[in-house]
Amino acid sequence: MSLVSNQFLLLAGASLLVYYLAPARVRWAVLLLFSYIYYIMGGIRLTGYLLFSTIVTFAAARLIAYFYEKGYEPKKAKWVLVPALLLNLGMLCFLKYTGFLLDNVNALFHTSLRGMDLVLPLGLSFYTFQSSGYLLDVYWKRIEAEKNPLKYALFVSFFPQLMQGPIGRYSLLAHQLYEPHSLKRENLVRGAERMLWGFFKKMVIADWAVVFVDAIFDTPDLYQGVALFGAIFYMIELYADFSGAMDVVIGLSQMFGITLEENFRRPFFATSMSDFWHRWHITLGNWMKEYLFYPVSLSGWMAKFSKWAKKTFGRKTGRVLPIALADIIVFLAVGVWHGPQWKYVVYGLYNGLIIGTSELLAGQYREWKKALHITGKERWYFAFMLIRTMFLTLTRMYFDRADSVRAALSMMKSTLTSFQPAVLLTIPAGRDGLSFTPYALLIIVCGCVVLFTVEVLQERGIRIRESLAKLPLPATAAVYFLLLLSIGLFGSTAAVKGFIYAQF
Amino acid sequence: MRNFESISPQQFTGGPEKKETIMENSEVSQTEQQPKRKRTIVKTIVVLAVFALLIVALDLALYPCTFIRSDIHAISTTQYDDIIVGDSHGKMNIDPDSMEEITGRSGHNVCVGGEYGIDAYYLVKLAAEKQNPTRVIYEISPGYFVTEKEEGNNYLLFYHEFPLSLSKVEYFFDAIAQTNFRTVLFPWYEYSLSYEIPLIADTLTHKLTGDYSIDSETSTSQIYHESGFIERYAVDTATLQLTEPILYEEGAIVEENMEYLKKTIEFCRENGIEFVAVTTPIPAATLGTWWDSYTAAWEYFESFFEEEGVTYLNFNTDYYFSFSHEIEDYTDYDGHMNGDAAREFSKVLAELLTTVEG
Repeated sequence: MSLVSNQFLLLAGASLLVYYLAPARVRWAVLLLFSYIYYIMGGIRLTGYLLFSTIVTFAAARLIAYFYEKGYEPKKAKWVLVPALLLNLGMLCFLKYTGFLLDNVNALFHTSLRGMDLVLPLGLSFYTFQSSGYLLDVYWKRIEAEKNPLKYALFVSFFPQLMQGPIGRYSLLAHQLYEPHSLKRENLVRGAERMLWGFFKKMVIADWAVVFVDAIFDTPDLYQGVALFGAIFYMIELYADFSGAMDVVIGLSQMFGITLEENFRRPFFATSMSDFWHRWHITLGNWMKEYLFYPVSLSGWMAKFSKWAKKTFGRKTGRVLPIALADIIVFLAVGVWHGPQWKYVVYGLYNGLIIGTSELLAGQYREWKKALHITGKERWYFAFMLIRTMFLTLTRMYFDRADSVRAALSMMKSTLTSFQPAVLLTIPAGRDGLSFTPYALLIIVCGCVVLFTVEVLQERGIRIRESLAKLPLPATAAVYFLLLLSIGLFGSTAAVKGFIYAQF
Repeated sequence: MRNFESISPQQFTGGPEKKETIMENSEVSQTEQQPKRKRTIVKTIVVLAVFALLIVALDLALYPCTFIRSDIHAISTTQYDDIIVGDSHGKMNIDPDSMEEITGRSGHNVCVGGEYGIDAYYLVKLAAEKQNPTRVIYEISPGYFVTEKEEGNNYLLFYHEFPLSLSKVEYFFDAIAQTNFRTVLFPWYEYSLSYEIPLIADTLTHKLTGDYSIDSETSTSQIYHESGFIERYAVDTATLQLTEPILYEEGAIVEENMEYLKKTIEFCRENGIEFVAVTTPIPAATLGTWWDSYTAAWEYFESFFEEEGVTYLNFNTDYYFSFSHEIEDYTDYDGHMNGDAAREFSKVLAELLTTVEG
């Protein structure tokens, strides 16, 4: 069920109505009920996976808590943790990567093994990560295990965030879901405003950008001269699509009085790749940091590696090398999380190697800056850092969107060898085809200008919605009505595409 | 070492709310809160009402008056014996007035290019909800059963014109609910503004005066009739090009399309409405070029209708010789007839229906 569908908005409206009309003590149950209605509407058969993940992690967490209550060693709890994680994450790996694995085995050994035709359950990656994180938090005694299975089921399945995240942490989210929230006008208005902004990003910017992205990446031979624009438009599409979805999800949750973690913080203002990943898909980054980076970098074998590295490369490098290696492992996981394809492996390694290398060369950079008398406060240096990060991000987009690594490399080559921007005007745009192409491009540009302006203001600490709320009511209402109307007037007329991250 | 200390949720948020109030402001007394709350509610209602009013006004001005508006108005407000559903072949080949001359039964043609099984089903339901048709003539083109209906104005073309009815509600939940919210708030988004804006005055006049006439729909190539029939003017057939139509392929049937066809048959059966399926003639050159595909399609549909126990009149098989397949009677190789041929064919069809009835 798409976040922009009438169905979703009706469900959201009905759930809000029932939530606030229900007695306070059962409001969490209303959320659970609507979460499962939402999921079942996407296909009842796939609900089994959600239930499986919920039951396995709930039972395992209860058992771990029982062991701790009885004063057993954490080692015993590990006997519960590991199989539960294997089952939970194993289900994700089995459903998502079996086909990929068999394809590669077949290619290597010339066999013809065939897997089962499995349908990937909606939101699988998100709820599997959320429930696995919970289990690890219980194991590490960061939180207490939830006693009520239904309440826990709500934590795993809360419907606004179920499909695309943000990946919630139990310590931040669960109590908000369980406690009854009272109706506040501010929550409703601010939430609706945020949703509207998300719809604008998706339907006006992303859905027009995708027209050009699909044409350029699906028929690269035809549009060689605009390969660069393909990557630029994909970057725009991806950001407007995913962050737009997050606006809708966070806005709807706010209408329930629930504050979800932010998933984006103006990533194109990042001055390094590391900074970029602190601003892009933040909850996935946090999850990886908490549950992969720390365990890997604090593991016994990493300590041994660190010792060896210090001995071999000297104290400085030896200290940084394990961190760089952990970064590469984390980003490899991020890449593989995106999908069962080699291009995502390259995508992950690309990010990991850049960040890992930056860490290794950090000392060198400092020396160069000193030699060049760069303090880091210069405007030109800031602009240079922004452009450099943008360039590195743009390069990543080829691997993300192209059909394969080979296709990505071929498009990169086209970018360097052939540049014919006029070809862009030969891509038919939406219902009106070629005659509308210049207007579609203009809409994308204007949409990006609006988006950029808003983000500049936010980056400067200006709280736009709060500022708008201070205007007289007719003015505020007019601004939001115009935003809504712009979706009708300028929204894409091409075939409507689903949200990109809803397929994960 | 990792910090194993428990982290309480309150550390992050300052703890859960202690009391539940509608509008929280502990310093303001209950009596002071009441008028403020009322004002807020009134303001909210006013803003929402203005939003709704603007949306209705935009719809009124920008959603164009199509011939489907007239057709749907006709079947909802006038009693017809026959309701003809189907796609453009039905629209241009079946003239209810010519049929009436033979059968004495009134009829209305609500076929249109882009009308899929789901639309036909709800059109029949609407007609039955508002009036009492006694027969449904369902024009069958194989291409419409191997392609999927796309989201967009093909849904709105019908749904938007449905009067308030149970059929409309059901149609909404069956089709429109899955579409993006612009179909409800801005149904005009599917039309180009460059098309809508010059028509605004005309659109408003038609809508505000309740004018359902279709005079303005007439063009240089065709004329619209009150009966829903579109009469195409004859063309110089020597200049026509043979282009590949959407062909039937075994295994390519879209189940949803067949489901709605079955539902329509079932609905007619339950409501005592006679159901007749018709495939109008296709030019011999087209049939000959894609013989295998057409043969497979006819076999599929003949067997389907036989199983369903309904009459199927196929003018390309059993009734091949009942009407001309010469290109001179058509305006294209796809099988859209010219007006004279369509009128003649409609009489042949009417005769045949009378015989079948008999």
